[in-house]
Amino acid sequence: MALINQATKEIQLKIVYYGPPQCGKTSNLEKVHAEVEAAPETKGKLTSLATNSDRTLFFDFLPLETAVIRGFKTKFQLFTVPGQVIYNTTRQLVLRGVDGLVFVADSQYEKMEENVQTFNNMIQNLETLNQNLANIPYILQYNKRDLPNAAPVNYLDFLLNNREIEVPSFASSAVKGDGVFETLNMITRMLLHKLLTESGRKAA
Amino acid sequence: MGDFVFTSGARLVLFIDAGGFIVTKQGDCGNIDTATLGALAANSFAATQAIAKIIEDHSVSSLYQQGEENSLLILSVGDFGFLAVVFPAAIGVGSVKYYAEDMVGRVVRQLDAARERAPDQGLDLSALNIADAAPLFRRRAAP
Repeated sequence: MALINQATKEIQLKIVYYGPPQCGKTSNLEKVHAEVEAAPETKGKLTSLATNSDRTLFFDFLPLETAVIRGFKTKFQLFTVPGQVIYNTTRQLVLRGVDGLVFVADSQYEKMEENVQTFNNMIQNLETLNQNLANIPYILQYNKRDLPNAAPVNYLDFLLNNREIEVPSFASSAVKGDGVFETLNMITRMLLHKLLTESGRKAA
Repeated sequence: MGDFVFTSGARLVLFIDAGGFIVTKQGDCGNIDTATLGALAANSFAATQAIAKIIEDHSVSSLYQQGEENSLLILSVGDFGFLAVVFPAAIGVGSVKYYAEDMVGRVVRQLDAARERAPDQGLDLSALNIADAAPLFRRRAAP
């Protein structure tokens, strides 16, 4: 849940990158960390809790800061979850307090089943936290578009974006940085929009 | 929290919400990256609680990490979040915990009072211009 701190004039929002194993969640954060245009004090350290073979064990974490609201600092915490199924409990822990989700799908044909399974797993894990995907801003990122065996975008849309409300989706190649910032900017925009709407509803 | 830092000899105390955000802090941060400490402490404590459930124990209220220079004590603050206390390893954890538990009670009472005071108070975000199409985060231009 977004934290609005009136005392320190800060708004803090948590974004989680979710997806199947080795789909590029960590690559997204690495690219943002390496290439974001930001003053040093507004970009935190990228922390990765990974195994010896560089697979995410618990999560990756990157704090970012920006000023979008007069008088308020807006801080975003970017997290990834581990992709491997054996770490499902840790995925649930990382989802606690989530404000927005980026589902990173692997565009390769042979990964479609894993994409769908992981998407359904995300919904189930949210339910264990009494959360409903319909109430959380989320977007889809179709990663690894640069690979020769990438499935067409409309096929990925058919599998993952075929719900009551269609959400924004982005084609990307996270290792090259293509689509990474477009994805981040869209989810932050959706989060701020939700914050604004809820604030207006409370004030009414 | 400031009183607690003074009386216990702790170096730093952070109040962290369940998602890992720092709500407030007191003490000497020095070179400590508090944003990362907050995120790691919250997830570490949540993992400890999950482990406790697996071994059929449901009453974990604190977590202690003994260090050589500095130690860390994390305490649950009801459903609000956690307090993470960084203190010199030379100070006994028992003493820090004694003062910290008193502080936890006071913090919970303050938060309960705040909740009752303005449960639905919103934030004036009228200055936020969502129609502004400029991206919040830009990719650095290649050299």
